[in-house]
Amino acid sequence: MNKTGFLFDRRYLLHKTGSYHPEVPERLEMIYKGIEEGGLLSRLVEISASKADMKWIETVHAKAYIDQFEEVCRSGQTIFNTPDNQMCAQSFETALLAVGGILDTVNLVMEGQIDNAFCAVRPPGHHAERNEALGFCYFNNIAIAARYLQMKWGVEKVAIVDFDVHHGNGTQHIFESDPTVFYSSIHEHPSFAFPGTGRVFEKGSGPGEGYTVNYPVLPGQGDAEYRQFFETVLTPAMDEFNPGFILVSTGFDAHVDDDMSGASLTTGGYSWVMERLVQMAATYAKGRLISVLEGGYCLRRLPELAKNHVEILLHASKTRGPHVRQ
Amino acid sequence: MFVNDSMTRKIVTIFGQTGIFEARELMAEKKIRHLPVVDEANRLIGMVTDRDIRSTLPRDLFHHPISDAEKQKYTTMTAADIMTTDLITVTPTYTIQDALVLFQDNTVGALPVVNEAQKLVGIISVRDLLRAFINVMGIGEPGTLLGILVEDKIGQLKKLSMP
Repeated sequence: MNKTGFLFDRRYLLHKTGSYHPEVPERLEMIYKGIEEGGLLSRLVEISASKADMKWIETVHAKAYIDQFEEVCRSGQTIFNTPDNQMCAQSFETALLAVGGILDTVNLVMEGQIDNAFCAVRPPGHHAERNEALGFCYFNNIAIAARYLQMKWGVEKVAIVDFDVHHGNGTQHIFESDPTVFYSSIHEHPSFAFPGTGRVFEKGSGPGEGYTVNYPVLPGQGDAEYRQFFETVLTPAMDEFNPGFILVSTGFDAHVDDDMSGASLTTGGYSWVMERLVQMAATYAKGRLISVLEGGYCLRRLPELAKNHVEILLHASKTRGPHVRQ
Repeated sequence: MFVNDSMTRKIVTIFGQTGIFEARELMAEKKIRHLPVVDEANRLIGMVTDRDIRSTLPRDLFHHPISDAEKQKYTTMTAADIMTTDLITVTPTYTIQDALVLFQDNTVGALPVVNEAQKLVGIISVRDLLRAFINVMGIGEPGTLLGILVEDKIGQLKKLSMP
């Protein structure tokens, strides 16, 4: 069995989004509940949050943007940049704790203390642009983790796989001209879902052309299309890229019971996806994989999805999977 | 919503060995400006537009006599010699918004539609797309367009839908 890290901190519940908002603290409580009641906690290396050093956040976000977020938050305003981004006086601190916890988790993996990890953080990150908060996201957690892996740990090539049902516009834009970070996303087609980006012909730009891969699925599509994506698109692309580390933007909102999308991935489909990803990590990256929570809003499904997700991380084989490079 | 519903299915195609004068006549006869070039298996291999032909032939070809040698050169020229092979294609499941973005980002007037085997199944032009959006938005249908002005904040849609 692997040493699997689990980042969770009750301070992640302090970011409050007001009424009518789907991105609520209960999401994390349901995730924790699933893992706890599944009897997995004692088998995990529990990691708690710490505040990120601002210099790492500045590798992705403009200083002026970070300052503005802090100022708006401290002044007691409840909306930042866009009406979707509702917040409270603790939101800035919580966002710092999310990034800091993830960077600590990166350290643990790189130091060999754990093999892989699931980071159950709030607020999510993949919609956050360099200069703009969007889609419940403030700091692009996973993008900062990728830069941290490169700058602090010298990992040259990082792959980010994003299976949140919404396209990670922020992550794509941050790395679109960078051939050292491969970004691939499977999500509901932009003609039907937020944020309206991630069309199949968006493939990166300049030196980064070909290092962005988008695979939109139509409303109603699910397990079969996700399988198709992994087998015919992602596997050959990963073979080509051969990453030293895999970061996963985990969104449980493609689930058939999640109202936030029309995608129809089943609980079994989610497990299949995660099993492929840990296999890929074994094949290319010595098993090094960190999954970072993005969306997922169906409170009654989150416990089982999180439990399965972590179980797969615990049982992941460290030996190379079938996708061995030729 | 999908290219499949808005594309032209009756496609006029040519082969690589089709002469450019023949292609030009075909365009005039069918009143079209794009000719997909296919192989025997109906796989798309290129595209010839009226602009490709115009820029190949000398401007005054039909007003001033040219030498026999030059005439010979043009009469033996084929679609394969002038066609664009670096094509932007779509599939029937692309949405009309996808096509709209492609038209905006690329200087093309029509997009060939291919299936997974790269076989040509249709073509969608800017005009087809105009028609599609006119239909989607109900422009031209009798009726009233209702605009509701609300404050841009969370929960408004729910409020509006409450009886």
